Amino acid sequence: MSGSSYSSALTLAAGAVLVSAVATVWLASIRSVIQVVAVQGIALGAVAMILGAHRSDPGLLAAAVVVLVVKGTVIPLLLGRASGGNTGSRESRPLVNVPASLVASAALIMVALVTGRGVGTLVGSTAGALVPMGLATLLIGFFVLVARRRPTFQIVGLLMVDNGIALTAFLCTAGFPFLIELGVSFDILLGVVVLMVFSQRLRIEFGDVDIDELQELHD
Amino acid sequence: MTSALLAGTALTGVAAAVAGGVAPARVRTGVSTALTLAACALGLVVGAEVLHSGHVAGIRTSSLMPLSGLSLALDRFGALFVVITAVVGICAMVFRLGYDGHGLSSRTASCILPLFVTALMLVPAASNVTTFLFLWELMAITSLFLVLADQGRRAEVQVAGQWYAVMTQIGAVALILGLVLLATHCGNQSFSVIALRAPHLPSWVRSTAFVLTVIGFGSKAGAVPLHVWLPRAHPEAPGPVSALMSAAMVNLGVYGIIRFGVGLLGGGPSWWWLLIMALGALSAMFGALHSATSKDLKRLLAYSTTDNVGLMLLGVGASGLFASTGHRALSLVALVAALLHVVFHAAFKGSLFLSASSIQQATGSTDLDGLGGLLRRMPMSGPIFLIGGLAIAALPPLSGFVSEWLLLQSMLHGLPTSDVSIALAMPIGVGVLALTGGLTAFTFAKAIGIGLLGLPRTPRAGQATEVHRSMWTGAGLLALLCLIFGIAPFLVIGAVVDAAGDVTGMHHSGVMTHGWQIGLQGTPGLLAPGLLALGLLGAGGVVVLARRLIQPGPVRLTEAWGCGRELQTAQMEYTATSFGEPLTRVFEDVLNPARDIDVSHIAESRYYTEAAVIHTTLDDAFERRFYRPANRILQQWGGIARRVPNGSVHRYLAFGFFALIVVLVALA
Repeated sequence: MSGSSYSSALTLAAGAVLVSAVATVWLASIRSVIQVVAVQGIALGAVAMILGAHRSDPGLLAAAVVVLVVKGTVIPLLLGRASGGNTGSRESRPLVNVPASLVASAALIMVALVTGRGVGTLVGSTAGALVPMGLATLLIGFFVLVARRRPTFQIVGLLMVDNGIALTAFLCTAGFPFLIELGVSFDILLGVVVLMVFSQRLRIEFGDVDIDELQELHD
Repeated sequence: MTSALLAGTALTGVAAAVAGGVAPARVRTGVSTALTLAACALGLVVGAEVLHSGHVAGIRTSSLMPLSGLSLALDRFGALFVVITAVVGICAMVFRLGYDGHGLSSRTASCILPLFVTALMLVPAASNVTTFLFLWELMAITSLFLVLADQGRRAEVQVAGQWYAVMTQIGAVALILGLVLLATHCGNQSFSVIALRAPHLPSWVRSTAFVLTVIGFGSKAGAVPLHVWLPRAHPEAPGPVSALMSAAMVNLGVYGIIRFGVGLLGGGPSWWWLLIMALGALSAMFGALHSATSKDLKRLLAYSTTDNVGLMLLGVGASGLFASTGHRALSLVALVAALLHVVFHAAFKGSLFLSASSIQQATGSTDLDGLGGLLRRMPMSGPIFLIGGLAIAALPPLSGFVSEWLLLQSMLHGLPTSDVSIALAMPIGVGVLALTGGLTAFTFAKAIGIGLLGLPRTPRAGQATEVHRSMWTGAGLLALLCLIFGIAPFLVIGAVVDAAGDVTGMHHSGVMTHGWQIGLQGTPGLLAPGLLALGLLGAGGVVVLARRLIQPGPVRLTEAWGCGRELQTAQMEYTATSFGEPLTRVFEDVLNPARDIDVSHIAESRYYTEAAVIHTTLDDAFERRFYRPANRILQQWGGIARRVPNGSVHRYLAFGFFALIVVLVALA
């Protein structure tokens, strides 16, 4: 792969991760959000793949495969199945409405640019310049956690935070060692399963409520 | 050799804790007590050997605690405290064999009690900051659990536990800040390095560290105004624990002040020691006053602990003041007097708390107004309490007399010096000592007169019988020590002088023992407690003999001056409340007594009273003026803070989110 096509492919893939994060903020339908999660997982896998191919690192390539399988396929499938017939429902009254969320996302991207630049210059290279994108994904994921009510969105926010961390790590170094990447991916998978079961239980117990109504549990 | 024994002490203590945790209920108390006894015996051997030979026993491992490693080094000064704790521990454990109830036989308590005793013995051996803080906190937290051992049954225990938890952690925070400040400025956390470098630090560092450690150690020693937990926690703790806390744990507060103020910081300006003397004088008077007016036996003993800690601090402060003005011989005398009082206080307060717990077990109460006539009904525990009470009232030939005499001598001999601060402080110190001596005599005249003599005031007290053999053995051993030390104090003075010399670096003896006599170097003071005891014995013999000679033949017993009174009942007797009444009136401003009189009339006529009951409650002035207002303000702040977390998951997530952004922006 030539230098310029490598850097544009990497930028494209990392950009796709960030754009799908922003899309989560924008979208309200649960079905489309789950599709976005799949896109983000595949884009993250692509980042790892491109970096692995560029550095000819078999460990990174194997990690890319794990990411593609777990984050690009298994988790979105699980999310889709757990939401069951409910995928048509929407986030109807978010804590922060969509236009304001988009503005906030823009602000968060700027924060990420300012704070991530230092790290980027430390790393050098094309990959280093893209570090702010990882940070921005992380921050937007966290924002989704704070600003959305539906349990599915909460899980998606958590996944975004993890993807942001993974992207930053891939870009900063040669990624995690393969074993750690494997472990982290399965941790996230397990976390998602537990959260899904938990939200299912909540739905059975309390009906289709948002988690803010759990305030009653406060002592 | 001694190092191996020191390690053995620690390991046996841990083994006792494990045994207490896993042994089946039937043998639990026996096994854990036996192993704790073994640990105390090992501690006693190590301490005595170090005191005797002067060789430091040390253990260093880097594997047990991360970064700093565990580092123990027991010198003579520390060994003195190890020996005290070991002896009190042995007696408390013997006592425990017969003691039942109060939650001490539960699995948790059986596991924690050995840890507490072991931590008490290891604290004086700690030789770096991390090890010291670790053992100190272990001691504080295990004692907190033990105070709470009986919380299921009585609500007061929980209140006591809360006060203790808060005060001990305030002290711990001050201690951590002080020691960390010292260690960072010295560049090393080993005590030996700190002792070398601390004298050359800037004076603000030294003074700040000193004040912080005094707050930390003062709260553990129960010095006024940090004492509020002590009269609550010590009485509520199970018997052996209250004895260990009052006779061994408070000592470590005094240990800390001497170790850090004198040993590591190498003395300081005179205001440091005037501060310690002021704390001591305040504690002594306040504690004595409250114990004189208290009508609960264990609360009385707890306040008397504050009083005695005050006397120790008075000695430590006088010693530091003499050292800072160049009177080295007097400084050593005062320090020896203070340390001797630590030793003797451990013996008499241990025996008093243990026999008070025996009384509590036999009568179900510690309210003096519900006791009476116990000297005859409890033929072992009664006299043991009597001996302890006479010793603490500093009557010859018992041990309290010797240490208070030495303390008085050291302060009196400071009077002719030309230094202004000494000329001002010493007369006040002498006055405080005299006042508290009188109040203590009053207190124990009350405790013994009301509690042990006279007629039983409740049916329960009338049915009291002597407690289990091992209980009075444990208390009796300590009472025996009071007697032995009172007659032959030279048995311990040598060791105490060595210990004091070790920490001050002054190896010429200020206190000398010539055979049975004690003398002070360069001053005419001289005391021969043995001869005094012999004289008292002789005088007693003469009185008995004289009565025999004057009154030969059988004695006829009749009711003399009966004045129409047919019988004596308990209601005609003095009560503890009325005994303390005059004192309560004199010190009304400090004690703030609240009286509540319930009068019930006979149904037929309101002119005749059926019964009248007086309830008197006393108030702790520091609690009223300082702690309660502070508590109110904190509650208000807490009320504001409680409104912020309202249970919304989103709000909690938002806290994390903003914290993350702030950190990111701050780091960029």
